[in-house]
Amino acid sequence: MKINSPKSRQYQISEEPYYLPLGKEVELFDSAYRHQIPVLLKGPTGCGKTRFMQYMAWKLKRPLITVSCHDDLTASDLVGRYLVRGGETVWVDGPLTTAVKVGGFCYLDEIVEARKDTTVVIHPLADDRRILPIEKKGEVLHAPPEFLIAISYNPGYQSVLKDLKQSTRQRFLAMEFTYPHKELETEIVMHESGVKEEIAKQLVSFAEKTRNLKDRGLTEGASTRLLVHAGKLITAGIEPRKACETAVAGPLTDDHEMLGSLAEIIGALF
Amino acid sequence: MRQLSDKQVKDLRAALINNLGLDFFDEDEINYLLGEIDSFEQPARQKIQALCLALSSASSSLVPRVLSHIKSASNSLAIDDLDRWVSKAFDLLDSEGIDQTLAFLGKTHAAELAAFVVPEGVPFRDAAPMLETFLRGLSGLDLKIADDHDQFTDTSTVYFLSLVNRFPERAKNVLLYKLSAAYACAQISQGTLTLGGEVSSLTRHFKNYPLDYPDIGAFFPLFPDHDLAVDLYTVIEAFRIEPFLRKALPGLMKQSEGVLPALFGDRPGLEGLSEKTSFVEAFYQQFLGKSTRGVPPRAFTDSIHQLRLQAQDSGPEDSIDILIRLYAKAESLSGEYEPRPPLPFFGKIRPDRVSQMLGELKQAHRSKLEALVTKLIDLPEAGRRERPLAKSSVERQPIAPEKEYLLIRGALVELDKELKDTIEKRGGVPGGILVKGTEMGGRSPISLTDLLAEEEVAGVEGGIKYDEWDYKRGGYKKDWCSLYEHDIHPGHERVVEQTLRRYGGYVKELRKKFELLKREPRTQRRQKDGDDIDLDAVIEAFSDARAGLSPGEGLFTRLDRSERNIAVLFLVDMSGSTEGWVNEAEKESLVLMAEALETLGDRYAVYGFSGMTRNRCDLYRVKSFDEPYAESVKRRIAGIEPKDYTRMGPFIRHATKVLASVEARTKLLITLSDGRPEDWDAYKGDYGIEDTRKALLEAREQGIHPFCITIDKEAQSYLPHMYGEVNYIFIDDVRKLPNRITEIYRRLTS
Repeated sequence: MKINSPKSRQYQISEEPYYLPLGKEVELFDSAYRHQIPVLLKGPTGCGKTRFMQYMAWKLKRPLITVSCHDDLTASDLVGRYLVRGGETVWVDGPLTTAVKVGGFCYLDEIVEARKDTTVVIHPLADDRRILPIEKKGEVLHAPPEFLIAISYNPGYQSVLKDLKQSTRQRFLAMEFTYPHKELETEIVMHESGVKEEIAKQLVSFAEKTRNLKDRGLTEGASTRLLVHAGKLITAGIEPRKACETAVAGPLTDDHEMLGSLAEIIGALF
Repeated sequence: MRQLSDKQVKDLRAALINNLGLDFFDEDEINYLLGEIDSFEQPARQKIQALCLALSSASSSLVPRVLSHIKSASNSLAIDDLDRWVSKAFDLLDSEGIDQTLAFLGKTHAAELAAFVVPEGVPFRDAAPMLETFLRGLSGLDLKIADDHDQFTDTSTVYFLSLVNRFPERAKNVLLYKLSAAYACAQISQGTLTLGGEVSSLTRHFKNYPLDYPDIGAFFPLFPDHDLAVDLYTVIEAFRIEPFLRKALPGLMKQSEGVLPALFGDRPGLEGLSEKTSFVEAFYQQFLGKSTRGVPPRAFTDSIHQLRLQAQDSGPEDSIDILIRLYAKAESLSGEYEPRPPLPFFGKIRPDRVSQMLGELKQAHRSKLEALVTKLIDLPEAGRRERPLAKSSVERQPIAPEKEYLLIRGALVELDKELKDTIEKRGGVPGGILVKGTEMGGRSPISLTDLLAEEEVAGVEGGIKYDEWDYKRGGYKKDWCSLYEHDIHPGHERVVEQTLRRYGGYVKELRKKFELLKREPRTQRRQKDGDDIDLDAVIEAFSDARAGLSPGEGLFTRLDRSERNIAVLFLVDMSGSTEGWVNEAEKESLVLMAEALETLGDRYAVYGFSGMTRNRCDLYRVKSFDEPYAESVKRRIAGIEPKDYTRMGPFIRHATKVLASVEARTKLLITLSDGRPEDWDAYKGDYGIEDTRKALLEAREQGIHPFCITIDKEAQSYLPHMYGEVNYIFIDDVRKLPNRITEIYRRLTS
């Protein structure tokens, strides 16, 4: 399969995704790409890691192949396997192999969720060898210069025994993502949901207050994504309080006492 | 009124019938009236009958009238409220006579009866969980809450009223709590209580201001009339904060408009107040209702105008200027100042409490730095200290004015260049610890060796003896340490309740998580043998085989329902350096752990440790293995407090012994500490690290899994060596500890 072949086109992003840079991340990623250094994106959920990947893939005109990791993900899920089809065995490429072949970006989301024996298959791709050995076929693929591997994880969820191994971590360039600061976040919420500035400001202020409650009953504060959801509801004509309760407070927790307190905070703001 | 016996009731009824009969009421009329009385429910019925009897003694004609009043009042009063209303009528009858009573009974409009409706009061404890979260969400600070008969904040705790029952509606009472929380937050964040943080705004007005930093407790005594000044300042700040809150919390402030008129109505009229009092009260009323009840002193009118103008975009420094002006005006008015009830929901400003709390925080910060400085000073090697000290006193040098010294526990220690650099790298030392030679003429500096020697503690006999590892000689010092086991002194703070409240939601989640851990049978995949076929594996193997590869062997799944048989011992650092946050986090962690372990049913014990020198290693028992998690244990958790030093070796050895005597398949020893093992004698640096390491290795030999949680600002290079590569976790932010520890335990044992 050739770079920019029809297969690669289905992973191509044709429209510019909305992304507001928070700092130097675009330049950094660009350099990493040019120098073929794999990238690690850290940050809480819903702060724009995936959107950033989409934006960069669009900007650099590379196909983007995303894999959401989970603890049943095996090495063959990534690399590929033989399947029996009509009495014959057929080799089917996994997403990682596809990305190498088309010279795209392979984005492994929530990498810590994958088992450690799975994570190691990316090692030879993530250092200067840039190769992908396919054991079952006895082949070794060499990644083209356009190929880039990116992984993401949320340090907030991370527990003692479920950490990225040093040998994995130390192959990557680490870029830290956090929630955008007030003004930017307001702008993002306005753009994405179409609410007026005043409402967007209040939504951001509410998010800030839930972030204060992190580790005090809430595992995470409200993400920008949730604010956008709430904003969309408000634009659709739903009352702001109701929108915040269903789109922000509800997803954050199931605890009734906490929900009650969040409702009080919403009431104080709107 | 107590319930009367049937006979008494009958007698009273007979007396009433008799009275009515005497006044020529016929039988039908009497029966009708008795029927009316009986139509009321107890307890009011008994009182109404008694009231009728009392009135009938004067004139029976009053009875039908009064009964009809009571009837119409009963439309707007619940039965208990009616009872209270009739009691009030009785009181009036006794004190004021019949006319007043009848006048009172005639007022039966709902509005006139409102005072007798018991409001649905909200006690603090009901609102507390919501308030705690609300407050933390708004402020982003770790504020505590408590109740008191006044509402105020000392910047660390917000005190609310124990009961809010101003309104009959629960929602409005809760709103008052929320408003109180919002104003308390604003007082803290807007610099009300720290006077803006600039001393210059105070010294500009008061040349004799005694401190070099702004302290609200030192500031107000400078005014001749302390109460007047504080109350004026309260008013000024209320007017300044209100627009701020209106911007930050528009929803809440809009809701507040629903309660303001009633609160305004609660204020007394200005008539009859002294001019000074009336001046302040008028501000209170303006704040609540934008008007005054009565005519305020003339000085008030321009003052309020100015105040409103200046309230926009002014800082706390401006408030001081305004205070000086308003105070001067108030002082020129006649009469004494008598403080009125405080502003509702803004609460009081308590300079004494704020000042005390800020002082405590400052002191804590200072002792921490002092401890840090002590740690920073490289102490001499072991053997040297045992020599006679006479020689060093000869070496005592006079103070050199150009040099700098550290003042530690009242003794001067010379600050050499190396030490100074280290300290400066850490952000410097506050005044008071670091002194110039010129300021200390006449005193002699002391070498640190001497300083420590002077504090030598006499050896104590007895205790349990433990060996100590001396890495330099590669062998044990026999029976070197004496360990004493004490029961910890129970604490008074309700740590357990507070923690459970603070972590309310989290605790539930925690229990659920640990409940899962208890029961959850886990399916293990890709096993060589097992209960069921692992389809994925089989298909894969089949495909591999077809492709000419050797198929995998693990084709089964197995249900793993292993029973838990775990005993865990927690060893908690109680050294002096844990003072403050660390200590608090340790306690909270233990409470959460106890909750989790109770759910899980794992056996556990908790010990605290501290001590000074090898002769006094104090182990404090919080909970032993066979003790239930009872009130006494909870009190002992509250009693965990910072004491002396951290000589970890002997405690680990003792814990090993305790664990060895417990029957369990898995034995865990979890140590919670901050920083490196250290005692004030030679037990520090490599010596301490090596001994601790050795003690942990001994534990491992006994089949115990030691795991250490260490709280430090940065990971230290010695940690992997001391604890073993994977047997420790280091936490840089102590606040994360309570949440992390349960998670760590869960991971460790699943």
